[in-house]
Amino acid sequence: MYSAKIPCLSRISSNEKTCSLLLRRFAFKSDLKIKWVRPEKISCIRPEKSGDIEGLPRINKTQLAPKFSNSKELETADETVKKLFTLEFAPRKDTNEFIYNSIMDKVKQHNFDVSSAEVKIAKWTGKIRAMQEVMERFPRNLKSKVTLKELIERRKKHLKWLRERDYKRFEWLLENLNVVYKPNPAVICKPTRKDSLRKLTAKYCEDIKQQRLDNYQAFLKSEQPAFLEEKMRMLAFIKEEQKECDVEVTVTDAEIEDIRKQLDELKKKEDHSDQM
Amino acid sequence: MALPKAVTVPLMLGTCVPCLKQGAAKFRVKRLELDTNIHMYFANLDYVYAHDPQKLCKTGDLVLIEKLPNKLTRLITHRVKEVVCPLGDITDPLTGKKVVAGNFGGEYRDHIKAVSKIYGEKATAFNYKNAPPRGWQEDKKDFSHVDTYVKYHETGEPQPYSV
Repeated sequence: MYSAKIPCLSRISSNEKTCSLLLRRFAFKSDLKIKWVRPEKISCIRPEKSGDIEGLPRINKTQLAPKFSNSKELETADETVKKLFTLEFAPRKDTNEFIYNSIMDKVKQHNFDVSSAEVKIAKWTGKIRAMQEVMERFPRNLKSKVTLKELIERRKKHLKWLRERDYKRFEWLLENLNVVYKPNPAVICKPTRKDSLRKLTAKYCEDIKQQRLDNYQAFLKSEQPAFLEEKMRMLAFIKEEQKECDVEVTVTDAEIEDIRKQLDELKKKEDHSDQM
Repeated sequence: MALPKAVTVPLMLGTCVPCLKQGAAKFRVKRLELDTNIHMYFANLDYVYAHDPQKLCKTGDLVLIEKLPNKLTRLITHRVKEVVCPLGDITDPLTGKKVVAGNFGGEYRDHIKAVSKIYGEKATAFNYKNAPPRGWQEDKKDFSHVDTYVKYHETGEPQPYSV
């Protein structure tokens, strides 16, 4: 009823496509069949985020706890008494200390090295791995969570500094401790549907562009032998014509020979690829 | 005072930053710009692409770049002349010895080694002579040569450059 009276509305009703374009100016929906899957959120204290490839090492629990290892009384003690002082019956703190020391020993410069960057990083690595194991069992312990996150970030900061100061040592340390170092991205924000779809669409377009370029390159390559043959024939023809007409000969034999060589090489390559 | 455009400057010192282009490197050039109102200089950052077919420079290196007589592409306007200071491999200009940088000016590598020798150097300790050249952990455990990003899509495949 209104469309008959208002000219612009009558035009809109006549063409549905134009109508949809004119009316739907918000929340534009793409026709591309791109499906976005929201990545699952990973806690910042998980090994995937902290970069720890391996967990705590498995240790032999039949050995004495570190604080009793030098005891002379235990040397002559009964087997049952000895067993009571092993890591099996020691508190978790002692076992962890033993593990930290073993990790630190791998990177120490000398036996009294306690303050070098690599030893500090190794110590924090041990602590992080021990705490990650505890957090698996008690995920609601927020105090530990905060401590762990601070430790992970402190280790990352010191790795960053070590990289700037001594790159070779930094790489050696990563290999020895089995830690992955990824610098922070320039922009840190939560992934959103709109932004992700924009990125995926851009990637889709880029892929199409690359695919078409590759196809075109392959097509040109397939045309190359025929083109070279034609070029060789044409140059020979031009040379003969120039000779017959008594004009200065601009085409040399070397030029034609070069093209023949190119053609032979191309054919050889084709034969080789066929055999493969 | 407006600075001349970075792409027109004939010789510059730039820091190499991660770049996806092949045969070229991207550089961050820092120049100081005078604010005539308050007579103060402020840092001005520009990004320039330089031709580097031999892959001389790596991320973080301080490099001298020279302007090309003609542009190679729309982006590549310069070429790498010399790597002045590779990242994490510092040489003292006065003595010519290698240095491990630090908060208080750093220490000579020889000095660190001498100290650890006195305490009894361990066989497993890091040794510069046996260390491979920089870059052997690239794409394995060290991802500082690329631009990392926050993971925005689950493809089912590993995305090593995502955080």
